[in-house]
Amino acid sequence: MSVARSSSMWPTMTQGERRFIHAIDEIVAKPGEGKALLDDYMARYAPGARERGLHLEQVLVSPPMWLDDQSNTLTFRWSIADTGGWWQMRFVGGNDPAVAAWWTEVDARAVSRRRFFAVEPVDIEGVCDV
Amino acid sequence: MFKLTRLVTLADPARLAPLADELRALARMHEAWRTLVAPTLPGSHFGGDLLAHFVFDSAGQRDAFGTALAPLLAGNAVDGADYQGSPDGKQAPDLANGVYRVLLLSVDDGTDPESVAQFEAETRMMPHYISAIRNWQLSRIEAAIGERRWTHVWEQEYAGAEGLLGPYMLHPYHWARIDRWFDPECPERIVDARLCHSFCALEASIL
Repeated sequence: MSVARSSSMWPTMTQGERRFIHAIDEIVAKPGEGKALLDDYMARYAPGARERGLHLEQVLVSPPMWLDDQSNTLTFRWSIADTGGWWQMRFVGGNDPAVAAWWTEVDARAVSRRRFFAVEPVDIEGVCDV
Repeated sequence: MFKLTRLVTLADPARLAPLADELRALARMHEAWRTLVAPTLPGSHFGGDLLAHFVFDSAGQRDAFGTALAPLLAGNAVDGADYQGSPDGKQAPDLANGVYRVLLLSVDDGTDPESVAQFEAETRMMPHYISAIRNWQLSRIEAAIGERRWTHVWEQEYAGAEGLLGPYMLHPYHWARIDRWFDPECPERIVDARLCHSFCALEASIL
């Protein structure tokens, strides 16, 4: 893995063309809210996230049916090109009041929520070698 | 140690060198134990043009200095903090010709104390994972001035700016772990988005 300075202001660790950083949103919707929350996420949040450089790799719904009296868990896995892309996403999203307002709304419609970042085990040594 | 830090954005940039001299002279008059007054380096963000940091033996000395300092800084935009620094870690007590970095941050009013304690504990572990941080202190602020009611000051020393701009920013313990306390997209966020990130050249360790 190489560490390089990008032409932008962001520090960058690259790994060829692989998008090796994953951003995962895990949302436990309030009972009966799962389908509507998924639709809103895809219509109102996902386009902006794509503009910030995230690529939506996978959407999962658990259990695999829409519940009206219990919670569905929605999982969204995004990929990010490198640490420079991560900081770009973070800076742009973190300074957009509309993004913060979106998550405030989601938190009101969710029982709980997590966002976390991950890499495959094979990438751990490289990502820590800074 | 009783500390006072000011990040000064000058109304008149030509005043940088004369004001720095005046601050150093005032610090000598008030018998500051340690003094660092230096122009900030490119890459600082809301970090001012001049970074001024002073350490005193007593709160009384520090507060008297702060009172005398205020007229010298009048007319400029100033963010700053008064606090009691306690040594957290010193891997390089003889560090010379390095970089001093300070982050002023504001934890939301009403944040539960357990979350604040966890944020502080995890932040103090950064040097464990990011060896470029040579000396460090995380302190709660007693008195703040500026754009926010600053609650914490996170000070570090590096062998050079590359340690701050490289390993500190690139290591996953920073962006994939600590940053969730700062990121409005993460439910754990407790820190206001407005931060003062300032760094300058350092002749000898002051932490």
